[in-house]
Amino acid sequence: MTQALLFKDIDEPNLADIAVYERRGGYEQLRKVLSMSQDAVLSELDASGLRGRGGAGFPAGRKASFLPKGDMDKYLVCNADESEPGTFKDRELMQKCPHALIEGIVIAARAGGINRAFIYIRGEYEEQAQILDRAIAQAYDAGYLGERILGSDVSVSLVLHRGAGAYICGEETGLLDSLEGKRGNPRLKPPFPAIEGLYGGPTLINNVETLMTMPQILRMGGNKYAELGVSGSSGTKIVSVSGHVQRPGNYEIELGIPSREIIYGLAGGPPPGRSVKLWFPGGSSAPVLTAEDLDVPYDFDSLAKAGSMLGSGAIIVVDDSTPVLDVALKTARFYRHESCGKCTPCREGTNWTVKMLERIEAGEATPMDLDIMASVQEQIIGNCLCVLGDAMAMPIGSMIAKFRGEFEKHMQRAQLTGASA
Amino acid sequence: MPRPQPSEITFSIDGREVKAPEDMMLADAAKLGDIEIPVFCYEPKLGPPVGACRMCLVEIEGMPKLQTACSTAVKDGMVVHTRSERARVAQEAVVEFLLINHPLDCPVCDKGGECPLQDITFGWGGGKSRFIEPKRHFRKPLELSPLIAIDRERCILCYRCVRYSQEIPEDYQLVLLERGAESFVGTFDGHPYVAPFSGNIVELCPVGALTSRPYRFRARPWEIEDAGSICTLCPAQCNTRLTVRDERVLRVLDRNHPEVDDGWLCDKGRFAYQAMHVDERITSPMIRDGGVLREVGWDRALAEAVGALRRGGSATAALAGGGATNEEGLLLGRLLREVLGSSHLDSRDGEAVSLPHWRALANPKLAARVSDLEFAHAVLVLDCEPLDDMPILDLRLRKGARRNGVKLLIATERASALDSRADAAIRFAPGRGAELAWALAAALRGEPVDAAAQAAGIATDDLHALADALRDAGREIVILYGERVLDGDPGALLALADALGLAEQDGGGLLGVPAVANGRGLREAGVTPNAGPGLGLPALAGGHGAREIARRLASGELTALYLLQVDPVLHYSDAELWERALARATTVVAHASFLTPGLREHATVIFPAETSPEKEGTITHPDGRVQRLRVAAAHAGDVRAEWRVLAEIIERLGGAPTPPTARALSEALFEDVPFYGGLTLDGLAGRGLRWPELQVSNTLSDAYEEAEPKLRKPLRAAKGKLLVGTYRSIWAAPEVAASPALAFLTPRQRVELAAADAEALELRHDEAVVISDGEREVRARVVLRAAAPAGTAFLERELEEDGANVLRGPHVTIRTVASVEAEAAALIAAEEARAAAETETLAQAEAEQVT
Ligand SMILES: Cc1cc2nc3c(=O)[nH]c(=O)nc-3n(C[C@H](O)[C@H](O)[C@H](O)COP(=O)(O)O)c2cc1C
Ligand code: SF4
Ligand code: SF4
Ligand code: SF4
Ligand code: FES
Repeated sequence: MTQALLFKDIDEPNLADIAVYERRGGYEQLRKVLSMSQDAVLSELDASGLRGRGGAGFPAGRKASFLPKGDMDKYLVCNADESEPGTFKDRELMQKCPHALIEGIVIAARAGGINRAFIYIRGEYEEQAQILDRAIAQAYDAGYLGERILGSDVSVSLVLHRGAGAYICGEETGLLDSLEGKRGNPRLKPPFPAIEGLYGGPTLINNVETLMTMPQILRMGGNKYAELGVSGSSGTKIVSVSGHVQRPGNYEIELGIPSREIIYGLAGGPPPGRSVKLWFPGGSSAPVLTAEDLDVPYDFDSLAKAGSMLGSGAIIVVDDSTPVLDVALKTARFYRHESCGKCTPCREGTNWTVKMLERIEAGEATPMDLDIMASVQEQIIGNCLCVLGDAMAMPIGSMIAKFRGEFEKHMQRAQLTGASA
Repeated sequence: MPRPQPSEITFSIDGREVKAPEDMMLADAAKLGDIEIPVFCYEPKLGPPVGACRMCLVEIEGMPKLQTACSTAVKDGMVVHTRSERARVAQEAVVEFLLINHPLDCPVCDKGGECPLQDITFGWGGGKSRFIEPKRHFRKPLELSPLIAIDRERCILCYRCVRYSQEIPEDYQLVLLERGAESFVGTFDGHPYVAPFSGNIVELCPVGALTSRPYRFRARPWEIEDAGSICTLCPAQCNTRLTVRDERVLRVLDRNHPEVDDGWLCDKGRFAYQAMHVDERITSPMIRDGGVLREVGWDRALAEAVGALRRGGSATAALAGGGATNEEGLLLGRLLREVLGSSHLDSRDGEAVSLPHWRALANPKLAARVSDLEFAHAVLVLDCEPLDDMPILDLRLRKGARRNGVKLLIATERASALDSRADAAIRFAPGRGAELAWALAAALRGEPVDAAAQAAGIATDDLHALADALRDAGREIVILYGERVLDGDPGALLALADALGLAEQDGGGLLGVPAVANGRGLREAGVTPNAGPGLGLPALAGGHGAREIARRLASGELTALYLLQVDPVLHYSDAELWERALARATTVVAHASFLTPGLREHATVIFPAETSPEKEGTITHPDGRVQRLRVAAAHAGDVRAEWRVLAEIIERLGGAPTPPTARALSEALFEDVPFYGGLTLDGLAGRGLRWPELQVSNTLSDAYEEAEPKLRKPLRAAKGKLLVGTYRSIWAAPEVAASPALAFLTPRQRVELAAADAEALELRHDEAVVISDGEREVRARVVLRAAAPAGTAFLERELEEDGANVLRGPHVTIRTVASVEAEAAALIAAEEARAAAETETLAQAEAEQVT
């Protein structure tokens, strides 16, 4: 059921130390790419079929190939902002195996013809930042980073930058503004970062897990890696399972296995006597699925067909002990708090939605308010500057659609008792 | 940076086939087909679109999501639907979202009636609101600055004002604080947003969130009239729209002229209209009677002036400045040359510039347009501070550098506000712009530079670096120069233009910044000692320039002075000489709006001057654009058209009659100035015409022979002393001091020092000091400026008190007021002690005698 690539040695003591990592075969793929051509590296990534692990699932090889060739300043940014609720895979990966990230960064830099790299890590990850700092210093000392890596003509500098606690700085263009020292607001696209990103230069942005998968791809060969998983979703994925399960945690799975196997098989399902009411398959931004969807294969396309998405690969399970209204409020409040405020539908829509939900909770709403709320979600979806607005509207919309009866019952009950139930 | 040359494409919008330049933003291209797409955040003046408000969502065939028209470049064959069901639903949604937190206090909102939010709600909104939750609240309105009020409840967070602050003047003062629905516009720590161009945000704001404090509650849109005008407070001559109610100007707005102002105004131009309606303004004629000025009727004043001028005759001189029009200049020339028989008239400070120099400088082949600043390969800012001398160009230069990568090179005596934007900046010794130009020309031509560089007070390495930067930048180069650079040797600038081959370049050339708003026009109308109208040979030879006029008035050779909107004691260098000159003159006739020091003391007759909204006539922009002023407001008090006053004086003195109407007078001007030949008032319309672009214009030949450089001796450092440099602040104007809203900006003398000099002199920031050139002194506060060049103290000119033109330089000493006072006290004490001792000895002697 599990398939260990990234997690193979993850619990090896002191893996964060460069000597241990090297003993386990670490940095061999880095040596390999130094003597490979840029195109050869790109074609391995392409062949692997690896899709971005940060949320959008864009093919990683293709994205790297979008960067213009030439001598201009180009940048690689590792997105380690990991702030999607329910997602905690990058934390474990960076904490336990920071050198694999560094190795992946050099590989990706090679694929993009880049020699300046940054890791943008969320401010709350203080311990992980310290571990990375140490690992980066070790890698510089060992000649894996810096000018003329291991005597080759490849140079990559790497700087760790800590964020200050904003979800929107995980959105790639908001991240770039923040990295440049500005307020973290998303930028209009196009131009896409691959053409005009950090400081106006072509920029490749990848998630921690995406980058850490790259050494594995080079080790196995792209084609071999592509044999893992299912068509359209190759390879393995670290899934963070949380909520009402008995064994929450990170699990590395081969893509395409039934979701039920993850939720019940690996994570142990809800506590005895309770049942799954709804689950977010890919972080709190994903539309919710229900118990009926437990057999959907866990891969990009199947989840999309089921009306949701794989997102960051964070499964949040909610069992029948929790009212859907609580889930909706918690979700909406998060997005209202994190909306950057730059565009109208998200700024006003998240705020309005929370106010309506609070009114429902207080027993001052009627079923007509549910219609308004559903329509507000529709007014947000597809109309925002970045997808944070959609990230609230889609799950909230899905909850109203799938649990309308429960919302209405709550209203009746609350009206009868004259207070929140 | 060559200008973009887009090709034309055809696209379809709401069923109409429309032609548009390729890559124009859809929101603009739609207008070409008479279709309006609603926008809030989009404002092309602010640079690339940001897609924030989402008001402009439209449907484009082939694209799955709705697109923002403000950020979608139009392509050939594009099919757009702005009112399809999907687009309509989204537009209504955005209006609904924008209104949920809006206070809807339109009845008491200044913007009501001219508010895009009202208009778009009416045109594109769904006409209903389903929001019944509490709205967000802020304290309101608050002072964003003494000039601007902010009402955060009305703000729709379109980001325009914040983008403006960051991208146009680049002052980075306005920011968005907090985030999401809690976001609000503010400044660091709540500091007031005070900046030279702050008022533009009031006009940018699409709602009533930012309002002008001087205009608040003064009028409603249906009570006002709009009148096109031109600001004449500086040579930028920005095009304005005046809000007029009951014949009073209540507000100044921009009238976007891409070749003049680019749609911005400085705060002086925007708020100094208040000076039209203040008590201090001179609104009736005055004469000096028994030593004091007293208001009289027009007849009395005219008779007085005419009598005095008749007595003055050919010993009369004249100076013109301010916003005096071309027509007034023409009449002043006729009065002096044809009626009084004198050719001593000038429109600038300093020694006269020769006619061949003026003609060569006016050569159309050398003329740069304002917009060239934005598209040239490089701009050399030479001996001027755009922010102070022609403010709006500061914004244009930033735009070129920011958006088109125009190389910005700066050669000035004082640190420039543009330094941080510049690719290279060098400092030369005060007043040595001409020497710098010679040195630079020599460096570019590969000739020896040492003598000129020394005279300019610059290191040869810096000079060569600047020359290399100019050479490497590309062919199209604009030199934006202050007319001060012509002092010393006007040939220097022409040599530099020649060394750069500017005459051969279409996108480059010279652009001169005169000291006064219509400096170029007055010169071209003949207000210069050695040229008549059109820079032709004057009817009378032997005229003297301003400086010589001062000397001859002081010596009694000249006896009468006619001042058209200028007070040389305030505006020109060497105030002491001018004081003596005016004191000695038997007649000083002045047209003025305010009693400035020279007039207060010495004017014998004063005629009230018009302000630009009251005026009719033409003025000429520094780039040769002749612009038309129309009457926008009634004359205040007893003010009369100044050209009529001049005409009346000419007539009473027996001169040839003046054309009877302002229009006919303008036609006479176009006839007298050969290169204005193709112009008509109607042709000028609202946008003016650049004469260097007219076919008839080339009456000025290329014949100009370069002469040997005339270099002044290098300025040497003197122990314990500093060189003195001067500048005029943007706020140094009587109109600023007189406008209640702007008065807080009125400058007081400050001496700008480098930290090293301050340390050597043991002076602290903000310390009160006395600056002396040995004979004269001014008082000031010390200002330490990081970028100030060491060895030079900079002082402000054109201040009513302690103006720098009191000093003669080149060296000054600086001492603290405290030490000067202590010294004076010690002197007094010593004197008292001596006197006491003396009395004692006397008393003793007396006592001895008695005994
Ligand atoms: C609101 C928002 C937050 C995001 N947060 C993260 C994040 O914390 N980490 C991340 O890797 N990607 C995040 N993303 C996705 C990034 O924009 C981007 O797609 C991703 O970093 C690309 O990397 P990948 O191709 O390797 O997945 C976020 C996107 C949005 C819209
Ligand atoms: S969708 Fe939300 S987070 Fe994204 S730009 Fe708009 S307001 Fe900001
Ligand atoms: S104050 Fe006006 S210009 Fe500034 S963000 Fe608000 S609405 Fe826009
Ligand atoms: S820049 Fe000059 S012309 Fe323009 S508004 Fe300011 S003072 Fe008036
Ligand atoms: S006008 Fe297009 S998004 Fe604001």
